[in-house]
Amino acid sequence: MLTGPPDCFSPYDEAGQPQVPISGYPNTVRRHPSSLPLFRRPVTRTELTGPLDLTPKLQPGDSNLAVSPDGRHALGQLIHISGRVLDEDRRPVRNAVVEIWQANAAGRYFNPLDQRDAPLDPNFIGNGRALTDGNGDYAFFTIRPGAYPVPNSGRWWRPPHVHFSILGPGSLSRLVTQMYFPGDPLNVHDRLLNSLPDLAARERLVAREVSTEEVDGEWLAYRHRLVLRGRHATPPLP
Amino acid sequence: MSTNEPLPPTGWHTIGPFFPRTFFKAGDNDLTRLAPEAAPTARGERIILHGRVLEEGGGPCVNAVLEAWQADAGGRFRHPLDPHHAEADPDFLGWGRAWTDADGRYEFHTIMPAGYADAAGPRAPHVNLSVLASGIMRRLVTTVFFPAFEAANTRDPILLALPRDGLRRRLVAAEDGTAGGIRRFRFDLVLHGLPEEETPFFVD
Repeated sequence: MLTGPPDCFSPYDEAGQPQVPISGYPNTVRRHPSSLPLFRRPVTRTELTGPLDLTPKLQPGDSNLAVSPDGRHALGQLIHISGRVLDEDRRPVRNAVVEIWQANAAGRYFNPLDQRDAPLDPNFIGNGRALTDGNGDYAFFTIRPGAYPVPNSGRWWRPPHVHFSILGPGSLSRLVTQMYFPGDPLNVHDRLLNSLPDLAARERLVAREVSTEEVDGEWLAYRHRLVLRGRHATPPLP
Repeated sequence: MSTNEPLPPTGWHTIGPFFPRTFFKAGDNDLTRLAPEAAPTARGERIILHGRVLEEGGGPCVNAVLEAWQADAGGRFRHPLDPHHAEADPDFLGWGRAWTDADGRYEFHTIMPAGYADAAGPRAPHVNLSVLASGIMRRLVTTVFFPAFEAANTRDPILLALPRDGLRRRLVAAEDGTAGGIRRFRFDLVLHGLPEEETPFFVD
């Protein structure tokens, strides 16, 4: 019988997590509780557990965003993003659902809510879903997203970034984050990235460029590690 | 850093305003089925949990993503960290995802969960909800309880973690009629409001 030791999910280190409100991003006020601090609760079985077999519901298979279903290529710099999903004890997290979504090369999302006057790419939807393999590894082929000005918030720009959503082995290991590109001059000005007080924590959201030979030379290759919360907690999967 | 030191968890970010609608398939908000084409579980009373997500000023929080997780009709989870997982309902997923419409409305189809005995205390029947939306940099988490279990609710360790009875009452859904013979429960989430109306959220 497996039980989680009480310390397997320690509180987040706040210096490594975003702090709100963020100037120029009014939804960080409008949608955030004013009653602070948030209430502390004990960790019970409902928080420790989570769905382990989501693939019939969240079906993987869209790991090449750069080519449309009818074989047409999206515009933009072809890139490959791969990496490992680990827990805090460096154990690979297998069978985690990894979802990504991003803007096209012109910085516009396929989403109908993105009303900016930048071109849509008919061959780029910009979202994908994959499962981590036996080593905890994921991989996507895509294009480098463009930067874009933040809607309705004055004049500030988001650097090129890729959104990630990871469903791991328990509710408390859920992670939603964004990946940035190394060397982009907009990174140091980004208000979301800068909302993490710890500089090292910000740097961990920036991918690492690796040799393109790892991906047969046709794609610019990036590696990006994702660490889910949890120690001694990753259970063996059925 | 030595290789034995724990790795810090990756920093959270918001889903932003453009979480893909193409990620959602019919039935994603149905906790009773393992797959869209699977039969719903035969165990437990089918219920609908619905409501609105509201932001500052009482306006709708549009395009929020809600994720639900709960025990089955026997109070079990199909997960190795539940010591009773072998007895869990094999046809119940217990997880669902919904997004809010232009009025901030969401809806989940599920079954009435059972409570269970936990090391922290006796859990009353409940559904855990997570809220993701543009501007929510780290998900907001809360727990929904049901009015029929008043005695169990007064002993629940997570309800008791709230300092006042008025706050506890805000986490109890309201019975809200039936639809096709299925009982409906309403639970609104007030993300930001007056102290007497804001939904209590927990440290994740």
